[in-house]
Amino acid sequence: MSRGAPGAVESPVDAVSPSATGGHARPSRARPARSPRAVVAPADDRQAAFYTLDHGSATLAGALVGQVDGRWRLLAATALPTGSNPEALIALLARRLESVDPSRAEMVGGWPASGPPVSADVPRLVARSRPAATLAVIAATDRTRTRLEEAAAEAGWNVVAGSAERTDPLELTRLATRPGVVAMLVGVADPPGADERELATELSVAAAGIAARRPGLRVLLAGPVPDEPLLALRHAPAIERLPAPPSAPGELAASPLRDALAAARGGPADSRRALAAAAGSLARVLGLRVEILEIGVSGAARVLASPGPADDGGTRASVRLVEVPDAGLFRMDRAGAIDRIDHWFTQGVDRARLRDRLSELAIAPWSDLDGDGALLRAAALRGALERLLSSTDAELGSAGVDLLVGAGGAWSAVPGPAATHIVADVVRRPGTVQVAIDHARLLGPIGTIEDDAERDAVLADLAPDLLLPVGTIVTPRGLRPNRPAGQLVLETAGGRSEIDLVAGGLTLVDLPPGARGTAELAFRGTPELGTRGRHFRVAVSGGLAGLLLDLRDIPLRLPERPDRRRELLGTWERALWPERDS
Amino acid sequence: MTDTLDLVPARTFIVERPRIRLELQPGDRVIAAVGDEVHVGDVLAERIRDARLVEVVTPRDGADQGIPLPGTWLPGEHARPGRHPGAPAGELLFEHRGRRRLATGPHPDRLLAPGDGRILEVEPGVALVLEVQGPGLAATELLGEPHSGRLVVLPEDSDPRLALDVALAGAVVVLPGRVDAEALARARAMGIHGAIVGSLAERDRRDLVAAAARQQAGLHRLAPFGVLVVGGYLRRAFPAAVQSVLEAAAGSLVGLVGDPPLLLLPEDLALPVPLPDRVVVRGGPETGLEGRWLGLGGLRRVRSGITAETGLVWLDDGRTVAIPIGELERFAVHAANG
Repeated sequence: MSRGAPGAVESPVDAVSPSATGGHARPSRARPARSPRAVVAPADDRQAAFYTLDHGSATLAGALVGQVDGRWRLLAATALPTGSNPEALIALLARRLESVDPSRAEMVGGWPASGPPVSADVPRLVARSRPAATLAVIAATDRTRTRLEEAAAEAGWNVVAGSAERTDPLELTRLATRPGVVAMLVGVADPPGADERELATELSVAAAGIAARRPGLRVLLAGPVPDEPLLALRHAPAIERLPAPPSAPGELAASPLRDALAAARGGPADSRRALAAAAGSLARVLGLRVEILEIGVSGAARVLASPGPADDGGTRASVRLVEVPDAGLFRMDRAGAIDRIDHWFTQGVDRARLRDRLSELAIAPWSDLDGDGALLRAAALRGALERLLSSTDAELGSAGVDLLVGAGGAWSAVPGPAATHIVADVVRRPGTVQVAIDHARLLGPIGTIEDDAERDAVLADLAPDLLLPVGTIVTPRGLRPNRPAGQLVLETAGGRSEIDLVAGGLTLVDLPPGARGTAELAFRGTPELGTRGRHFRVAVSGGLAGLLLDLRDIPLRLPERPDRRRELLGTWERALWPERDS
Repeated sequence: MTDTLDLVPARTFIVERPRIRLELQPGDRVIAAVGDEVHVGDVLAERIRDARLVEVVTPRDGADQGIPLPGTWLPGEHARPGRHPGAPAGELLFEHRGRRRLATGPHPDRLLAPGDGRILEVEPGVALVLEVQGPGLAATELLGEPHSGRLVVLPEDSDPRLALDVALAGAVVVLPGRVDAEALARARAMGIHGAIVGSLAERDRRDLVAAAARQQAGLHRLAPFGVLVVGGYLRRAFPAAVQSVLEAAAGSLVGLVGDPPLLLLPEDLALPVPLPDRVVVRGGPETGLEGRWLGLGGLRRVRSGITAETGLVWLDDGRTVAIPIGELERFAVHAANG
């Protein structure tokens, strides 16, 4: 690890700025009208304000947003463990604003500086992350079962599955009636294959047999599954018809079935679905390709949003969301998951103890915040990110983006600079990317605003407040390790600095949040940084970690021996997380 | 005005008149009916062992009294003698194109009521819901099977290898000290009905589950056995509030159930109630200590550099410390009916 220090930089105008990879044609930056209807202006002379609440599986996050000089600003935010009383959290936010700015508190909340906060009539935007519920998938053939299973898993369900072709009716009944199963998806392809036609009717009758045992079980039918046997039941279940499974594996990118399953699981206030809407707004408002990596205790999601010109001359955004329940922070049910956490953990601990500690954290995610508990969380976050990316790369690809946003409770449990290091370790893509954290967990609640224009207006104002810039990562690929790699010249408004680069490590350059500059990279070889070349000029912006030049291999190669690996990881971790040893 | 104590997550401690689910398998024969008042030890269902699927021809009209619904237990004589002599008794899964699929097999096991209560629902082959008359002490997991017995609290410093003997057969024992799979296997072998532990490591849980699976597969099974885990995976003592309830219930007939995980207590038991501002530390350097909530401690940076909301706690050892709220919990005195 080497560290450079440029001269002083001037204060930024925008905390979030395009961190160009150079040469991309960008749509014009949208500036929508600022009149969100979702947040009703008070009838009296108070200034408009609203609270946000994000009910996560482990974390209850709240924020107070108000208008200051005609713009929406984040006035207060905090997070507590789930189980805390939301009203108490709201009162805490109100009191906190009152203590630091009594006049603002009075203007926004209408409560007197000396009296109790009156928060009941301030509007609220609420998002909830739904714990991944279990869906029993029953298909006619194994081929269809695989497709249904993939679609359901990507829609955020935990899945148990069987097919009439391979599983006997007794086992199918057991599978669909096991504890925790809240819904049953019965499906055949459309048009059904020759082998499915005969099985479809029997499948429907078997499903009716299961539904008769479990009154209240939601029944989802995909494809031409007859519903007569289900409707003939004395307490007929509510049947939801969904699109048929795609005709071939790999066609799930725009699968209407997956979207329908996601809707069936979460509802409009589901925070992961709301993230997709918020990502679209960010892409439109900032004119950037945005990727959100949301990691929570109950699951994870990856959202990609890209802006483009709309037919009406404005900006539109294409948004893709994939949920991965088993990329939850402490999930260890995928083979090898615990090995990967052990791989990243910089403290030596035996496997049984590691498993117990992770299981304990799954029960009480907020416990053991300090000491090596924080390091364990960071290792678990790396493991979860790996699972998320490996599960979604086939669908979403691994192309670079301009802005990568960490969302969800997992990112709150590590300091900002350490978050940059985690991203650099796991997201191994050549290019330049700015990293930010949704530190106040505003994206989910704001994503619940249904109208795009309203949401864009709120986010246009709030983006500098809600995105905590933690750093810019520059990652070239193709450098020869442990050799002089070239030179970096960083020019900012306050000065110019030159730093020699050595391949194989991390180089950290101080660049505070809000600062912007231009990095000229002159390499001895011809590495890839978006494109191949010797000389690159990229725009960079600052963050809590500053500018991180990641000159390590892509993919990252670490020593096989655990002690050496821990030592090396620990060296990097210490540089970006000095408090880890305190 | 909301009290700042509400910022501390409340852990369900006592559930009044809980509704518990007792799991069934397709083919189990339910004996109890909805509305029945049952007492601890009553037979609720006969459990199938090694259920198998059979396919039989649907009898002609009139052989059945009406059209049976899926989940109905069909006696062997539903097929007329001589016409389908091989048709066994079994539970109807479904009927399709003149053929019935039945789950059938021998029923050597019994599902016994773990507490006094009333049957609320019967979902054939799925679950039986019982509203229990007495309160339940909340736990995190039941490993094994629901059961009941007289509660015996072993001393903190007792060695389970010495303390667990046949004199405790039929009891539910509280093991406050270090517990491993060997101690639990010994308890089971001694005829003890169940154990209550503060925590259990993953390795011991796996051993226990594997042992239970072997028992399930065995021809001659041992009696049901359940282990109720009150905490998590890392070794911790029982919180004082839990310990005082266990001591108050010592000698009483109690039940262990897994959905939700509860220790079923006698209806007439006088429950010691913790003070509302009592909090327990469940992480960090003060893990396991208890004290009184004094109020908010503000946003503070903890050792690892993470900023967290803290609360001021007057610990029982006399110190007043600021502890992240996430590392605190308090006990909800009585939760809603579960």
